[in-house]
Amino acid sequence: MRIFTVLGIVFYATVLILIGIGLITLAIIFSFDTTVIQPADLANSLNYFHTSLSSRLILGLSGLLLILISFSFAQLILGRFQREKTIAFNTPSGPVMVALTAVEDLIRRLTNLLPEIKELRPDVRATKKGIEVDLRVVLRSEANIPEITSRLQEITKSKIQDVLGVEGEVLINIHIVKIVTTEEKDKNKKTPDKEETVLPFGGYTRV
Amino acid sequence: MIKIHNNVISSIASIAAQEIEGVHKVGSNCKGDYLGRIIGRTFPCIKVEIDKNEEVFVEIPLVIKYGFNIPEIAAKVQENVRQALEKMTNLNIKDISINVQGIERG
Repeated sequence: MRIFTVLGIVFYATVLILIGIGLITLAIIFSFDTTVIQPADLANSLNYFHTSLSSRLILGLSGLLLILISFSFAQLILGRFQREKTIAFNTPSGPVMVALTAVEDLIRRLTNLLPEIKELRPDVRATKKGIEVDLRVVLRSEANIPEITSRLQEITKSKIQDVLGVEGEVLINIHIVKIVTTEEKDKNKKTPDKEETVLPFGGYTRV
Repeated sequence: MIKIHNNVISSIASIAAQEIEGVHKVGSNCKGDYLGRIIGRTFPCIKVEIDKNEEVFVEIPLVIKYGFNIPEIAAKVQENVRQALEKMTNLNIKDISINVQGIERG
């Protein structure tokens, strides 16, 4: 684990623990003695920040620093997650990593090959067994579901194996989320046609 | 002593990578490229590291064209980049790592 990640985790854990301890302490103190912190004390503190330029500067810079630390930390974590979402293999010249999103792009392109499929939403995972693909499919109503799903599984599997050059197991799960009727399809087509039939000066008549 | 800036190595690698048929472009979005993301412009991002023994490590993000075999393209890019860098800089190239970020969307 990188030193910055450790520092980031320690920093955030400390800040959150301190906030938690502070809130618990306040709750305990308030339940026993309500005169410990008066509203006037808070007003005085705010007044101090209001009048003193240096304290305002320190306050602003602390805020800025906190934002920068948060961004860097988020970037570290996101980068780590992104790095994990790859399929990797080694060549003599060095490692090759293929982002799973690239494989998803590839699968999305298969929609063009099968006209029965209206939409394809893939989710690719690299597991110890091999590559696992979940496909959420929107079909057109005229499609024969068992036939189209088995064809889709075959095509997806062979495409992944061809393009990635992997020979391990590729598991394709298909989930049909919607079947679009032909009427819906026609409605979408008819709308622009209606607009085309409007003629210029169509409302004018002879007197 | 001649020192070659990392940007020069990065440029040579970028050009050599794009010479290979099947490479759509060199990927973008470096880690920490906040400005690029905010303004919506991203720049090619090739990581170059040179260790104490003057050995060079290069990481190239790529977007591949649809229909090409990824391992084949990656191997060709590695070979072409290695040749170009060795020819032009005389540096000792240790590792050329390829990171396929995406497939070109049609």
